[in-house]
Amino acid sequence: MSEAFIKVENVCFSYKDDNDEDIPVLKNVSFEIQKGEFVVVLGHNGSGKSTLAKLLNMILAPASGKIVIDGLDITSDQMTDDEVYSVRQRIGMVFQNPDNQLVSSVVEEDVAFGPENLGVEPEEIRKRVDGALAEVGMTEFARHSPAQLSGGQKQRVAIAGIIAMLPECIVFDEATSMLDPSGRKDVMRAIEKLNKEKGITVIHITHNMNEAVNADRVIVINEGHVCMNNKPKAVFSNVSKLHQIGLDVPQVTELIYELKKYGITLPSDIIDIDEGAEALASLFG
Amino acid sequence: MAELTLKDVSYIYSAGTPFEKKALDNVNISFKSGVITGLIGHTGSGKSTLVQLLNGLLEPTEGTILLDGEDIWKNPKDITSVRFKVGLVMQYPEYQLFEETVRKDIAYGPTNMKLEKEEIEKRVSEAAFFCGITDEYFDKSPFDLSGGQKRRVAIAGVMAMKPGILILDEPAAGLDPIGREEILGGIRTFQRQTGTTVIIVSHSMEDMAVYCDEIVVMNKASVYMQGKTSDIFAQSDKLIEVGLDVPQITHLFKKMRSMGLNVPENVFTVDSAIKATLLALEKRGGAR
Amino acid sequence: MIRDITLGQFFPGNSVIHRLDPRMKIILTVVFIVFIFLAESAVSYALMFLAVVLLLIISKLPLKPVLRGIKPIMFIIVFTAVINIFWTKGDHLLVEWKFIHIYAEGLLFAFYMVLRIVCLITGTSILLTYTTSPINLTDGIEQLLAPLKKIKLPVHEFSMMMSIALRFIPTLIEETDKIMNAQKARGADFTSGSLLRRAKALIPVLIPLFVSSIRRADDLATAMECRCYRGGSGRTRMKSLKYKALDFIFLFITVLMCAGVVLINIYLPVLVV
Repeated sequence: MSEAFIKVENVCFSYKDDNDEDIPVLKNVSFEIQKGEFVVVLGHNGSGKSTLAKLLNMILAPASGKIVIDGLDITSDQMTDDEVYSVRQRIGMVFQNPDNQLVSSVVEEDVAFGPENLGVEPEEIRKRVDGALAEVGMTEFARHSPAQLSGGQKQRVAIAGIIAMLPECIVFDEATSMLDPSGRKDVMRAIEKLNKEKGITVIHITHNMNEAVNADRVIVINEGHVCMNNKPKAVFSNVSKLHQIGLDVPQVTELIYELKKYGITLPSDIIDIDEGAEALASLFG
Repeated sequence: MAELTLKDVSYIYSAGTPFEKKALDNVNISFKSGVITGLIGHTGSGKSTLVQLLNGLLEPTEGTILLDGEDIWKNPKDITSVRFKVGLVMQYPEYQLFEETVRKDIAYGPTNMKLEKEEIEKRVSEAAFFCGITDEYFDKSPFDLSGGQKRRVAIAGVMAMKPGILILDEPAAGLDPIGREEILGGIRTFQRQTGTTVIIVSHSMEDMAVYCDEIVVMNKASVYMQGKTSDIFAQSDKLIEVGLDVPQITHLFKKMRSMGLNVPENVFTVDSAIKATLLALEKRGGAR
Repeated sequence: MIRDITLGQFFPGNSVIHRLDPRMKIILTVVFIVFIFLAESAVSYALMFLAVVLLLIISKLPLKPVLRGIKPIMFIIVFTAVINIFWTKGDHLLVEWKFIHIYAEGLLFAFYMVLRIVCLITGTSILLTYTTSPINLTDGIEQLLAPLKKIKLPVHEFSMMMSIALRFIPTLIEETDKIMNAQKARGADFTSGSLLRRAKALIPVLIPLFVSSIRRADDLATAMECRCYRGGSGRTRMKSLKYKALDFIFLFITVLMCAGVVLINIYLPVLVV
């Protein structure tokens, strides 16, 4: 395997509280992300997962440690302004609150905001905006005001705004947590499509374990540490450890874990319904 | 224990304009007192309108809302007193905090009720207890708390009014599993100890299955289903039909039945699933 | 409900007026105002009135809301009329009662003044607010004022602020509504009591609103930074404004009308036809 796309090495970060004391948020965090991967970062509120997102595109800078993106050390002092903007163009971010990230009162103008900042030619912006809106299924709302849209629709507009900057990786910082189930489904579908069809690397931060089931890899963060980093099946088979740090597992996994306590022989890496039904059916054999 | 009944209630937004929209259409419903009722339905089904009607934030276009047999709009000037009896916790209630200290914020409702000082203090500490807010937080600024803590202070602020009916709109939205458990568990303890009628609006079927005794399903401005939680989730097909989801575990058992296994229909929590599986295996004299 | 307040008077449409370049519309509005203040004789007043009626017709706006736009300035209209009717002296006395003297000239002046104000308001609102979306208007202002950047005026920042404000007005209204409801549910009373009491009752609404606005501003700033915003330099626009033939035709007509009025003032200076 070639060099990883994103390399995070021993990163530490702390906030200052009111008394000017350091409150550590991330402690020696290290991981790698390959190009085209779909990685879910799980962790409960306050585990430091959102801070991590802001470090990746230089909204925050780590206290120590190194972050390398495609061979470029973004934590070095010698980063020029142009390099900073190029990192932000390549690593897009979608945030939690759909209302607080839309700039314009017309959907298509909002999608154009990023490319406009990058100084892209007008005709090219037009093309990108139309393409991005089609990508997330919002073409018919191009001339609407965000105020007329539902949360899920606003969030898809926000995603279009990032796609129009032609990023290689998008970080979704709890982008689904304020949405209703149908909005969440639409947004998840859009995210998965971007990953599968356009090969965009996705880092999806959430505390909803159902959204982690289909990921290529799950990184679990707890109290500022990376405490698991593996395929979903392997991560979710640690039911007791996840419970300990306050995270859920899919209900199927939970059921099988509980049944095993009764001495029933079942595989421990089941995370979806079909596998679960198969495994349970074999008991009835 | 308070009774809340809706008779032929309709609500129309922007009546008489081109934007007219019927949010509730001739709704007749009675909320069972002394239990936790879950109100479900997808966005736009009329849930939020219903909730705002129940405590007099909206006035029905047609029909009457009866609280303990009395029309809440009989004397419109007195609607504030209805709001004390039917407490409403809105979505993301942490954004309504404004006082200098947690104590004062929880006391805002009771103070508006013009209660005695001692009574207010008593209520504040009771409500705080149910919401898991310990004394050390009382003199802190609510703005210095974490998201989940703020949410609990806001809920305590409504509980402190000791309403006969407590309505909560998505009380656990956006919280992680621990935060959800803290809030919903607190509400359940509060309900069990005080006998208050509680109505919870939520999108999370998993939570509803665990915490609610009764379920009301809204669809297209009307009541679609009402009944015991186990009875409602036993009819998963009907729920899926109107675009609602059922807990994953219910899906699993549905799948197993379709594979010809003899497992029950009304499985909707992990606990009931464990019991049902063990029982089914026992019947088969199955693999232990 | 507070949500019912309509903000911005923009009526979407696709008429000739709607399609004019916003910059040109601002210029036209200025010329139009000059035209109105130049008008001094019966013929030019008629011309002015005709121009507004024509504007209304080709803009395809519904008549009612346009007329309703006059309502807020009704006081000024009545005031102007009264002043002119009672304080103008002339040759043709119509009514004389105690100290009140009403002359025909007074009535005529009052009529012209009212006509002037009504034409001024409806004309400019048809040209600008009714037919130009706020965002286009902001763009127009920014580009018209662009030369001022040379003397270090923050024209881009100003227009960015305007458009963000426009974007967040509906959000803030919705939020105010929500917080008011939440406090009402806790027994707040915004409608009764003395003015002071009502003002005090708003504190539980204003503080949360303020706190959340700051949070929103913070979030938005981060989101804008993530989208590579770095002020106006090096920024392109998807829709660059371009003057079309239509724009110049309108400019030509308006300027012509102005010239016409000047000529009429010189050669036909009569008040009654």
